[in-house]
Amino acid sequence: MDVIVTENVTKTYRVGVGRARVREMIPPPLDRAFRRLFRKWWIRDTFNALEDVTLSVEGGSSLGIVGHNGAGKTTLLRVIAGVTAPTAGSVGVSARIAALIDALVGFHPDLTGRENIYLLGAMHGFGRRAMAPRIERILEFAEIGDMADTPVKRFSAGMTARLGFATITALDVEALLVDEVLAVGDASFQRKCINWLDEYRRDGGTLLFVSHNLSLVRNMTERVVWLDHGRVIADGSTSDVLAQYARAMERREADHRPIHKKKEAKKAMLAQGMQRWGAGGARVDEVHMEEPTNGGTELNVAITYEATGIDEAVFCLAFVDEEGREIGASASPPVSINGDRGGIRCTIRLPFRSGIYFPIVAILGPDGVIRDRWKLDRAVVVERGNGEQLADFGPVDLPAGWSTREHEQEDG
Amino acid sequence: MIKRLWSHRDLVVSLIRRQFQLRYRQSAAGVAWAILPPLVTVGAATVVFDQVAQLDTGSIPYPLFAFAALTPWTFFASSLTFAVPSVVQNHQMVTRLAFPRAALPVSMIGLALVDLAIAGVTFVIFVYVTGSSIPLTALWFPALLLVEMMLVVGVVLFGSALNVFARDVKLAVPLLSQLWLFLTPVLYPLSEVPAGLRPWYRLNPMTGVVESFRSILVYGQAPDMLVLLPSLVGATALFLFGWWYFSSVEHRFADVI
Repeated sequence: MDVIVTENVTKTYRVGVGRARVREMIPPPLDRAFRRLFRKWWIRDTFNALEDVTLSVEGGSSLGIVGHNGAGKTTLLRVIAGVTAPTAGSVGVSARIAALIDALVGFHPDLTGRENIYLLGAMHGFGRRAMAPRIERILEFAEIGDMADTPVKRFSAGMTARLGFATITALDVEALLVDEVLAVGDASFQRKCINWLDEYRRDGGTLLFVSHNLSLVRNMTERVVWLDHGRVIADGSTSDVLAQYARAMERREADHRPIHKKKEAKKAMLAQGMQRWGAGGARVDEVHMEEPTNGGTELNVAITYEATGIDEAVFCLAFVDEEGREIGASASPPVSINGDRGGIRCTIRLPFRSGIYFPIVAILGPDGVIRDRWKLDRAVVVERGNGEQLADFGPVDLPAGWSTREHEQEDG
Repeated sequence: MIKRLWSHRDLVVSLIRRQFQLRYRQSAAGVAWAILPPLVTVGAATVVFDQVAQLDTGSIPYPLFAFAALTPWTFFASSLTFAVPSVVQNHQMVTRLAFPRAALPVSMIGLALVDLAIAGVTFVIFVYVTGSSIPLTALWFPALLLVEMMLVVGVVLFGSALNVFARDVKLAVPLLSQLWLFLTPVLYPLSEVPAGLRPWYRLNPMTGVVESFRSILVYGQAPDMLVLLPSLVGATALFLFGWWYFSSVEHRFADVI
């Protein structure tokens, strides 16, 4: 039976702050009339965070949602959770549902951890009496120890997220929406949450899981919906959709066109935040990657650069896995880069097992200072014929020779 | 909406409890703050209206006269002050959790109701200490409270919803409730209002509420239906309007807040 059904869900937001929002106060009947009468005015400054999203989730199954930032993943969860209503279309939920929209959970900063647990319980229909016997279990799961009676505003982000997750585990939910909350908190707590979610799924719980961590999505879900610009691009088995998604990232070229003006470059650098940083003095201008061969393990990369402050550099090509860990790099010998612009090529063999990998291109000065480090917004998909089931053993494919021999009798 | 709110009554209770905890946390005088303001206001009003303006309140001493009306007035005014900003104040919850939004303003009214109970007890003690007694007509109290409740819920639901879209509302509340206090016969009797202005006074639903409370609590007279009826009609209309407005826009709160 489907426990979550959305039909042609569209969510329209109005852009802008302050006064632009004042007109939202017009109650729906009048608003509809305005929409008909002054369509142009009404539609101005709006955008669709979700467009015509139709999907259903069977009870006891788990669905992953992937997509770039701003693709509508969180909006979809909010609409399903009932935090906000769709502009058009309908949402049906026939299960006790709870959502962890983000790490802040909706706690009140001035209340203590314990008081917030009661409040969150009440939000989900649990009275004080029903919550009291669960409190100890929650506090134990959250590992917040003697902070239970401290206002939540003094909690670290990790503690808040732990308390939120722990509270949800005690609410006997049948459908759980989780949005990237596992990204907060330390690795051991993450492990604990994942174990709990595994058990929850075994017990027949339904899960909607949003994450940028594709390997988590791969492990937690059997089906994935890929959203882009508010639309469903693909909906199918986890391995199929993730492969499609990764391949699309592989082809993304838009962000790699050269930027020639200094001002523009600076702006782009700022906008990319952690994606790109460096001390300056030399800059990666353009990266061209040929279609990888041999199952994605052989790669030709052409880098053009612009040097303004240094005359010797080491180029570096590194890779990050689905979980964001840096797993390997190759460095060029020192190259003299006297001259303003130039290019360098790299042929590389990736000793990686099947999976999705993200390249980083970096330029280091002779002093070892990183001049420009750019995590490219595209992926390399490695597909090896065997060993798919060995995902738990890490991303590196160790070169080895294997041979079999008959069990011989050792005669003396 | 009523059904959804009722199924979340634990949440409302929890929210009231929370506000209570928060209010007196880090305050030295604690619950005294629920008793002090009406007493101080009564004292000040007595100086101004009784001693300076020498208002005629019939056989009733002025402090008693003012206290009987200030108690329900304070409930109205503090409901507005607490509840109108409540949805915006709890934006963390509104944007992340699904629950009947009305629980926020309604629980604030609940908080004001707790204050009313404390003020009510203070009033009764005050009456007996000053050598008077509570007349039998005080049995009207629940009925009058119901009328006032409808009025309060209506105004508060409308105000708290509107405040989500335009923060002007919260800023206007202190000014409005001050104006409203001047235009309601709380610190002076309706009988002192010039006859020509009285029909206008009746348009104000708080007039009937306050006058009726005073007549049942200190004068020992049943409410004057000519005064109470317009209030009842006004309160019912505002209640229905506020309820309708809140429930028709509450689904937008998480988007706009």
